[in-house]
Amino acid sequence: MRWLRFAILILVATIVQKGMLARWDYKPDLLLILLVFFSVYSHPSEAIIGSFTIGFAADLIGSPLPMGPHVISFGLFGTLLAYIHRVVAIRRKSYQALAILITGCVAGALVYFLAFMIKREPLPERVFVTILLTSIFSGVVGPFLFPPAAYCMGIETNRFQRRSRR
Amino acid sequence: MLFTWFMLAGCILLFAPQSFTGKFQLAFVDVFRWPLSLGGNVALTARTQQSAGENLGGGEQRLLNVIANLEQTVAEYRRQFQKQHKYTPYVWEGADVTVAAVIERPVDGPSNELTIDYRKRIGLAKGQYVLGGESIIGTISDVFPQLGTARVKLITDFTSQIPVKIGNGNLRNIMKGTDGNVAVIEQVKTKIDVGERVFALRKRGFLDLDAPIVTGRVSRCERNQKEASVWDVTVVPVCDIRNIEDVAVIIMNPKAG
Repeated sequence: MRWLRFAILILVATIVQKGMLARWDYKPDLLLILLVFFSVYSHPSEAIIGSFTIGFAADLIGSPLPMGPHVISFGLFGTLLAYIHRVVAIRRKSYQALAILITGCVAGALVYFLAFMIKREPLPERVFVTILLTSIFSGVVGPFLFPPAAYCMGIETNRFQRRSRR
Repeated sequence: MLFTWFMLAGCILLFAPQSFTGKFQLAFVDVFRWPLSLGGNVALTARTQQSAGENLGGGEQRLLNVIANLEQTVAEYRRQFQKQHKYTPYVWEGADVTVAAVIERPVDGPSNELTIDYRKRIGLAKGQYVLGGESIIGTISDVFPQLGTARVKLITDFTSQIPVKIGNGNLRNIMKGTDGNVAVIEQVKTKIDVGERVFALRKRGFLDLDAPIVTGRVSRCERNQKEASVWDVTVVPVCDIRNIEDVAVIIMNPKAG
């Protein structure tokens, strides 16, 4: 893993998420997309570090939620996804979209659950609709952002693909 | 092992005081203020269909915007100043009041809570007394700094208990809420006239004022069912909660600055 590139990519995604995309009520979550990307295309130990780092970045821009829920949630599900990927390859775009959708739903639910249970944060209105729509948008957009992210990180995305038999 | 350490760090972050961890969020916004605002501007430009002819020069339009914003700010300060002075016609030494708009109030039937807007996020604390229509209407029961709101438990709430005195005499007791739209003062030794005013007494740290403040008036006085020699007094608030638009929170010993 090229960690400097990783840091820059996460920083850019965080700024775009908080700045440019903040105007829209329902939007794809770039950090969620990157979480799935690094879980799928990195070594599990790198994916663990990446997942918690992305969670920390998500917490930084997660106001009014307190710090902590994203770190735990993204770290947990990013790690889980990295190990699942060792058993079930998530290479096709449809699988990647599904992985983003499911990860977005469960991670989002855990974030609000932790904030509610530990910090007694009141749940916003239509929180589950927001989580679902964010996950759907991320799932739709995510697989198309994987190639540019892989290019930025210098990762070869099709190195594990099966070659067609002649 | 790596996962465990990171999870531990996440838990520390989660359980750390929000006043501390919130500084990370503020620091991020402060450090990346320029790219964040740039992103916002780009997004706004993309969403608004403006022709170049409609726009003034960038500098002039910016100045006009500044003037418009300043006018609104001055108007808001003037409104707040008038409100503040409406609530403090008398001087309380060592006390301050902060005006807050009511966001949610009871509409029909008995409801014993108000939600108030409080975006300054300083000075508000649980237990502080709340003035509405120049009378004590309740106390702060919850503060949500992240949302900029607070909840007011009215004097009629069944968990509410405040020390009061009845009328101009020296009859002191505890007034309790009933969860209806009334409060009661139980086991009063003498019969009280209907219409007599009830005043909130001083409470150290929350209402350290020399003079008590009116909170309700006696609507009924009946003999206690268990002990006939004492009286139960029913009190109704002197403020019409349903039509209240803003309240003032009494902050004792406000911090300077």
